Amino acid sequence: MKWRTEQMDTYLNAKEYVDTAIIPLMPVDWNNDPKGKVSMGEFTTLLVDELERQFKGRVFQIPPFVYLTSEDDTAKRNRLLAWDKHFFNNGFKYIIYVTSDGEWKRLEKELPDMLLWIPSLSLEAMDESYAKQIVDQQMKQILPLIANKWREEPAERS
Amino acid sequence: MSEKEHKVSRRQFLTYSLVGVGGFMAASAISPMVRFALDPALEAGGESDYVAVTTVDQLSEEPQRFDFQVEVVDAWYTSNQPRSAWIYKEGDEIIALSPQCTHLGCTVNWNANEDHPNQFYCPCHDGRFEKSGQNVANTPPTRPLDIYEMEVRDGTVYLGKTIERKTV
Repeated sequence: MKWRTEQMDTYLNAKEYVDTAIIPLMPVDWNNDPKGKVSMGEFTTLLVDELERQFKGRVFQIPPFVYLTSEDDTAKRNRLLAWDKHFFNNGFKYIIYVTSDGEWKRLEKELPDMLLWIPSLSLEAMDESYAKQIVDQQMKQILPLIANKWREEPAERS
Repeated sequence: MSEKEHKVSRRQFLTYSLVGVGGFMAASAISPMVRFALDPALEAGGESDYVAVTTVDQLSEEPQRFDFQVEVVDAWYTSNQPRSAWIYKEGDEIIALSPQCTHLGCTVNWNANEDHPNQFYCPCHDGRFEKSGQNVANTPPTRPLDIYEMEVRDGTVYLGKTIERKTV
């Protein structure tokens, strides 16, 4: 489900079925390679939109968690942990962070739930149907990851 | 000259012209209103609602997934949005089902779960549907998969809107 009021009504009526929050993680840096950061954000949005389309009835698409790349690891991680805790305590048993920013890979072990890191591809140079194929192929690999996750017990939070 | 020799009396002539002019004025005032009132009806259901999705020779008895795009107008913002359909042949009949689970809208897949072959399966809450789209009892969905309006012209399959069904 998307971050829209009319979908909130559906959500409130079917709360017990919606147990997964998807949080896109998006870097901002206007000093060092701004275009690269925009491309990461764009690619993440594309994937998250498609994930939402596939799993509409079980996932909620949360607005992006945005940060300056200069923010230090501890602060950034703590901020994300607070988001995670907030959604976990409010009915989401599974939380998936989706990003194209490789920096998160270093912090993966410190995160309480599943990190999906998908390196961004520059889709602007490709024609539309080819770009779509690429995203479809990525999706084919990501969808089973999430379906498998649902078969496991939710991760414990301390 | 007597009045009787005139085919049209002066009084009749005036009546005719008044009715004529009055009618014309009334028509020019009312016809735009009628046009505005009917306009939505005239636009909806146009052929442009149908989108070419595939050709008949690509279809088989086995449901296959076809992706396409439709133009969606959301207030003043027009965008292309992805849609999919599961299409198969049954004899001469072509059936195009919406992949949206009627429970909460996840995308269903054909033959995707080993325990339930030859059914549509929803990965979110284990909803299931027969090949016809009929929902399987005791799974979360409460009605069959929606079916697409469909037209075949020159061997090409065109899809329109989806239609809700109570039963198959």
